[in-house]
Amino acid sequence: MDRLIALVVLRWRLDLRAVTGGHGRVVGLLLAVPALALLSGAGALVAGATVRLLERAEPALVLSVLSAAATALGVLWSLSPLLAGVALTETHDLDRLLHYPVPLGALVSSSLLASLLQPTVLALLPPLGTIGLALAGVSPLLLPTTGALLCFLVLLVASGQAVSLLLHVVSRHRRMHDRALIAGMLLGILLSFLPLLLISGAGPRAGALVRPLLASDVFVLSPYAWAVRAAVHAARGEGGAFALWTGAGALAVVAVLAFSTSLAQRIYRGDVDVGEAGWRRSPVRARIRLPGPLGALLEKDLKMAWRDPRLKAAVLSGLLGPLVLLVLLSRGPAGPSRPVVLLFLASFVGLGTLGYNAFALERRGLLLLFSFPVDRFAILVAKNLAGIALRGPGALMLVAATVVLVGPSLVPAMLVVLLLTQLLAAAADNYLAVLFPVPVPAAGRSPHAPTSGARGLGFAAVAAAAAFATLAVSSPFAFLAWLPWLMGKPALWLLTLPLALAGAASVYAMLTAGAASLLRRREPELLARVLGEE
Amino acid sequence: MSEGNAVEVFGLTKVFRREVAVDHVSFRVARGRFFGFLGPNGAGKSTTIRMLTGLLRPTSGDAVVEGVRLSEDLLGVKRRIGVLTEDLALYERLTGEEHLLFAARMHGVPPPEARRRSGELLEFLSLADERGKLVVDYSLGMRKKLALACALVHNPRVLFLDEPLNGIDPVSGRVVTDLLRRLAARGVTLFFTSHVLDVVERLCNEVAIIDHGRIVAQGSLDELRDPTSMAGDASLEDVFLKLVEADVQREDLTWIG
Repeated sequence: MDRLIALVVLRWRLDLRAVTGGHGRVVGLLLAVPALALLSGAGALVAGATVRLLERAEPALVLSVLSAAATALGVLWSLSPLLAGVALTETHDLDRLLHYPVPLGALVSSSLLASLLQPTVLALLPPLGTIGLALAGVSPLLLPTTGALLCFLVLLVASGQAVSLLLHVVSRHRRMHDRALIAGMLLGILLSFLPLLLISGAGPRAGALVRPLLASDVFVLSPYAWAVRAAVHAARGEGGAFALWTGAGALAVVAVLAFSTSLAQRIYRGDVDVGEAGWRRSPVRARIRLPGPLGALLEKDLKMAWRDPRLKAAVLSGLLGPLVLLVLLSRGPAGPSRPVVLLFLASFVGLGTLGYNAFALERRGLLLLFSFPVDRFAILVAKNLAGIALRGPGALMLVAATVVLVGPSLVPAMLVVLLLTQLLAAAADNYLAVLFPVPVPAAGRSPHAPTSGARGLGFAAVAAAAAFATLAVSSPFAFLAWLPWLMGKPALWLLTLPLALAGAASVYAMLTAGAASLLRRREPELLARVLGEE
Repeated sequence: MSEGNAVEVFGLTKVFRREVAVDHVSFRVARGRFFGFLGPNGAGKSTTIRMLTGLLRPTSGDAVVEGVRLSEDLLGVKRRIGVLTEDLALYERLTGEEHLLFAARMHGVPPPEARRRSGELLEFLSLADERGKLVVDYSLGMRKKLALACALVHNPRVLFLDEPLNGIDPVSGRVVTDLLRRLAARGVTLFFTSHVLDVVERLCNEVAIIDHGRIVAQGSLDELRDPTSMAGDASLEDVFLKLVEADVQREDLTWIG
């Protein structure tokens, strides 16, 4: 019992420290708690009202609708550690407890108990409470109804814990961990396309697909549905059905806990084999194809971005912003304003480079980078070119949209506006990267662990000013790129496009030379700040 | 700067907020010496190395490395040195061979020469079979060897090595120490920190001991032995413990056994 209490307290303490370690995180917590409470309250109102309405309008559908909702929530909850980037938040870190003689039952139970008091779990209580009230009203039947709903909650948390344990196994192997990360991020990207589908009118079609599923009550097969069905039967005073479904729900909880315990046991004993490192010995020798230190640095950044699943996902998710805007644009009226809107969109997408932070990819590698005797101007240019190249998917999306919405004739002008805005935004961002460095996790910690250092309000103000300045500086060059279209003389593009690019490149070179000089003066301070050694 | 010195340090000081990490440190290292820089944890060894390699700005003081003043030409210093830092900042998503080629290119080594040198270094440090593996999949010892290879690939005149043998297996340790000896014999200056004092005793021909940010002794082992209080065959460990005034006497733990 002592060990159980100690483990639960340990989880709470670690969770608390994770959210209170640093001013930035405390502010985040102060914002997150009321937001979560608000969300929970709103969820409670909507859930209660929906169930009440359903009970009145179509009581026959209550069981299947609640079963479907419970299944959807259960699946999302189970996938949440994967969606959050293989976040192992639902359980203790087994590797650290490996050396202690802790009974596995105590470990799994303590994780479950500790998770039940997590804010996100507590936030589910009000919606479940209002569902219980909507089903049973204020009557003696409310007690078994609520009890069954709580059984559903325990199953929800227990299944999240089981998935977390599975991810623990996966995380021991780098390749599997990368694959899990990519899977989670692709899933996240797919989910973020849902609003896009709704905007483009897919809602009614999805409804038509779900209706037959509800009618056939297929979700009765989902273990998440069992305890919820027990709650509905309890509210209706159907004792036999209540007992049956409660038993099934409890059995599901026990099965998931048994699975978790067995998994923990296999991890402890090293029985879980996730394969060898899996790299293939290639007869082809490594090469760095691009010339000079600038080329080597650019190639290094691109290779690292492609091989790091988090960075790869960030590159792919760069498609989302332009895509949403383009869907909105394509649904608007066609006409002469479309090219103008596309021009602004190109500037807007180009401006995204402003938040890139030239040194973000380096993390602790910055120490190595600054030990090289390479001209700092070349370092900044290589970093900027890598940043622009990594925004390639967004640019491609823009080009495709231009071809579809306006025609291919505008593509060169669109690309030039995008590129010159990116260049000037990158030049401005170089100053932000040097003046407002972002600390990285200490040596030995996961390089992707959150850092306590934030760039602060001063950064936000300077970044906003930099965005306006970039737009102001880029506008004459963008105007030059667009002038032939305004004049209706496309042949002039042969002259204006190179001129616009050359002008922007000159301004970029001047600004970046200034940033490089600033970097040379501030290099040790920047390094100390990034590595958290101030 | 004297012609024969590879490193000259003048009153180097580093203050972190109010804590003095390195306190007016001055010393000289002659060219081609195997120089051991020793001290207890937190004494200021790594901070001194970071300052000497231009990765940390001194609060005051200066240094001259291979004739180049740190405060005047940082890139000039970086061209002449190789650095192996304690926290092994490596790019994890490059393969070992790519990493080495990258380091060579960043030091301006021409591509064909970079390929030749990286091939030799990988063979020499028994990393050839792992050349195609990502650094993230390397063990600590392999990372250490790769970082050492990166510090050597441009043929530096001064090598700063912070705990170079930590985490390396005995076989590779012997290969590395033999290599370091050969480098010293060819005139490369080695600035070396380690907690393994018998290794320092075997390798270094000169030692400086830093404690609480100050140099408490410098010289050969014979010079450091205090004839009035130490036997002539006192080990470096004995000398070290005496100089840092370490209290190693402890009461027994009451509940053990």
